[in-house]
This record gives sequence, C-alpha cells and structure tokens, in this order.
Amino acid sequence: MWDLDPFQFFRLTVAWIATIYATVITLQSAWGWVLYLSGGDKYMTMVRRYLIIHALRLRFKTFWGDVIICILLCMVFLLLWRLHGVIAQGV
Amino acid sequence: MSANPPDPNDLKLLPPVGEAGRPPAPNPAGGASEASPTPTPAAAVIAISPSAPRQLADLPKDELATLAEEFGLEPRRYKTPQDLVSAIHGRRQLIASLDRDAMVDVVRWGRRPVPINATNEQLAHEIWRIKSMRFDGLSERGLIALSRLRGVEIAAGEPIPAMVKKLKKSEGFFARMNRKRRAVLGSIVSNMIGENDPAAEYQFLPPVEGRGGPGPTTTTASAAPGARDRSIKEEIEESGLFGGIASRVKKTADQYINQKLDEIESRIDRKLDEIDRRLAEWRDKEIANRLRILKITLWASVIVASLSLIYSYVKVNFYDKPGNAATMPTAKK
Repeated sequence: MWDLDPFQFFRLTVAWIATIYATVITLQSAWGWVLYLSGGDKYMTMVRRYLIIHALRLRFKTFWGDVIICILLCMVFLLLWRLHGVIAQGV
Repeated sequence: MSANPPDPNDLKLLPPVGEAGRPPAPNPAGGASEASPTPTPAAAVIAISPSAPRQLADLPKDELATLAEEFGLEPRRYKTPQDLVSAIHGRRQLIASLDRDAMVDVVRWGRRPVPINATNEQLAHEIWRIKSMRFDGLSERGLIALSRLRGVEIAAGEPIPAMVKKLKKSEGFFARMNRKRRAVLGSIVSNMIGENDPAAEYQFLPPVEGRGGPGPTTTTASAAPGARDRSIKEEIEESGLFGGIASRVKKTADQYINQKLDEIESRIDRKLDEIDRRLAEWRDKEIANRLRILKITLWASVIVASLSLIYSYVKVNFYDKPGNAATMPTAKK
C-alpha cells in the first residue's frame, strides 16, 4: 500500500504548482520584453540603448545588503535540502 | 562654351588660407615664405591666365553685374561685358596685392562684421561697403589700403594729411552733402533715443569652418555680434535713416531671438536631466522592491524547509524507529 504522508503530499504539491506557475509567468514576461525590445525602428533602438545605459549606471552599493541576504538564504535553503537527504538515508 | 576645360590653378589669384586661417603676406619681405606651400602670389598675380576671364565671361549679365557690385564697380559704366570682366579681374589682382594686416586694420576701423579667418576677398567686400570719411583711428597702412581700394592714387611716402585730403576729394560734392545730411539725422535720432554710450571694443565673428567660408551670406547672417558695437548714429550715416533704423531693429530682433532660443534650450536640457534623474530613481525603487519580494519568498522557503526538516527528524527518530523495534522480535519468533 502506498504510504501517503499528508505533510509530504501537501509540501510536494505546493512546490510543483508554485514552481510551474512561476516559471510560466517568468518566461511569458521575458518573451514579451524580448519581442518588444527587438524592434528595428529608431525609437526601439533608442529605448534599448537607454535601458542598457541605465543598467550600466546601476551601482552594487545601492542594493548590496539585500543581495547578500538573498545569497545567504539560498545557501541555507540548499543546506536544509542536503540535510533532508541525510535524514532520509539514515532511515 | 569653352573649348578646353579651365585649369582651376589659374583661378587662384589670392594666396591660399594657411593652417592658422591667415594667408601669407602678398609681398613677403625676404625670399619665399616658409608658410606658403604654393608658388608666390606675386607670380600668380602677374601671370594673367586667359582661362579666368573666359570663365567670368560665361556668367550671365545679371550675375556678372552683381559680382561687379560686390567688387565695388558700377556695371553701367562699362559698355561691354568684356570690359566689366577685365575690371573685375583687375580688382582681384588689386586685392591679391594688398597686405592682409592693412585690410584687417580697415575692417576693424570700419567695425564691419567678419570672421577672424576671412579671406582677403571677403575683407575687401566689407571694406567696399564702408562709406565713412572719418579716418580717426585708422593706421597708416590701413589708410593706404583703403585709398587703393577706393581708387585713389597715393604716392609712396605721402604724409597722412595729404592722403586724407585726397580721399575726401574723391568723394564728390553731392555724396559729401548726402553723408553730412545723414550724419546730422543720425545725431538727431541718437539724441532722441538717448544712446550716448561709447562704442565697445571691436570683436571678430567666430571663425567660419572650411576654407574661406561661404562668403557674405555667412557674415551677414551672423552680423549681429560683430556689428553690434556700432552706434546708431554711425549706421544712419552709412546707410541712411531707414536703413540704419532697420538694421538696428533687425539686430535687436536677432539678439532677442537668440536669447529666447538659448533659454528654451536650457529649459529643455533641465527637463531632460530631470527625466533622467527620475527614471534612475524609479529604476532603483523597482529593483529594491523586486529584491524585497525575492527575500520574502526565500525566507518563506527556508521556514517551510526548516519545519519539514524538523518533521522528518521527528518522524524518523521517534515514530518510525520504535515501530521497527517492535516488529523485529515477532519476526525472530
């Protein structure tokens, strides 16, 4: 008989749904922007250059705190994932 | 019309413009000048090329007349176009033989608007427009150049008072009367307006890009800065009452328009800078928001992962293991 753990079922279901949804929305948005900015007319060229200039003007110092926290949280998440594997092996 | 195509080198009666924008003196003191890369102007002046007058003769009558007027000639005095062409040619030779510094002195004295790198021909055109008979402030070499351009024969070593007298004599009675009438009118108008400020120091126009510049149109179009220093009295004396007032009104209007255009340009620049600044702020705010959302998501993931870890640990160590221990002894039995 298949051993159904409700908590695991809930966790895995939510993870799959959330991941698929986020991936689809992100790809749709990115594709829309690519189509919009790849125009050949004069104004799209100017908008593209303007965006590139603004991206180059971005300074790490403005966001360094949030970026470092995000990196640390990712590392913690990976550690927790690793620990899950260790505990499952110990069974 | 012409059997053979004209040799462009034959047309270069005036010395070329050097790197500094100033051609070498037409009669250098000693030998060939190092600055002039081409043959000496004296040789070019003396050698009359048959192709140059032929090319001028190809011009239509009205164009030839306009060109003659620019060189200070009266086209009606010449019976045939060939005579006019010869006269123009003679004028060009005269311009080529004059000292540039002397011509600049005359232009500065007459307060004509010329760019600093104007050619001799452009300077001569402006000098022919000067009708003033007040020679105060004009150097001796400028006086000689002016006399030659006005067709007054000056002997070598002649004193300045004699030259001035000859120049004034060459004016003509009616021309002098008209000039004096305009001068009186100019002083009346100047007193009415109340313009008693002394003329400011002469300034050249900005240099024209390219060799020689396009000519009178450029100097006329940008006449405002250079000729601004002339008083209305002098302008009326030179151009008449309506001509003087019209040129003054035109200069004032040009100054006003330039001022307004500068203001508009500076406002547009300020607006563009403000737009740039606001876009940069908006960009920073958006990125900060996105990072905050990402941070919250990661925190939620880490919390859920921690709870899951605790749940797994408890399940494995306290729920599953005692169950395995209980089933093992029954299997042994």
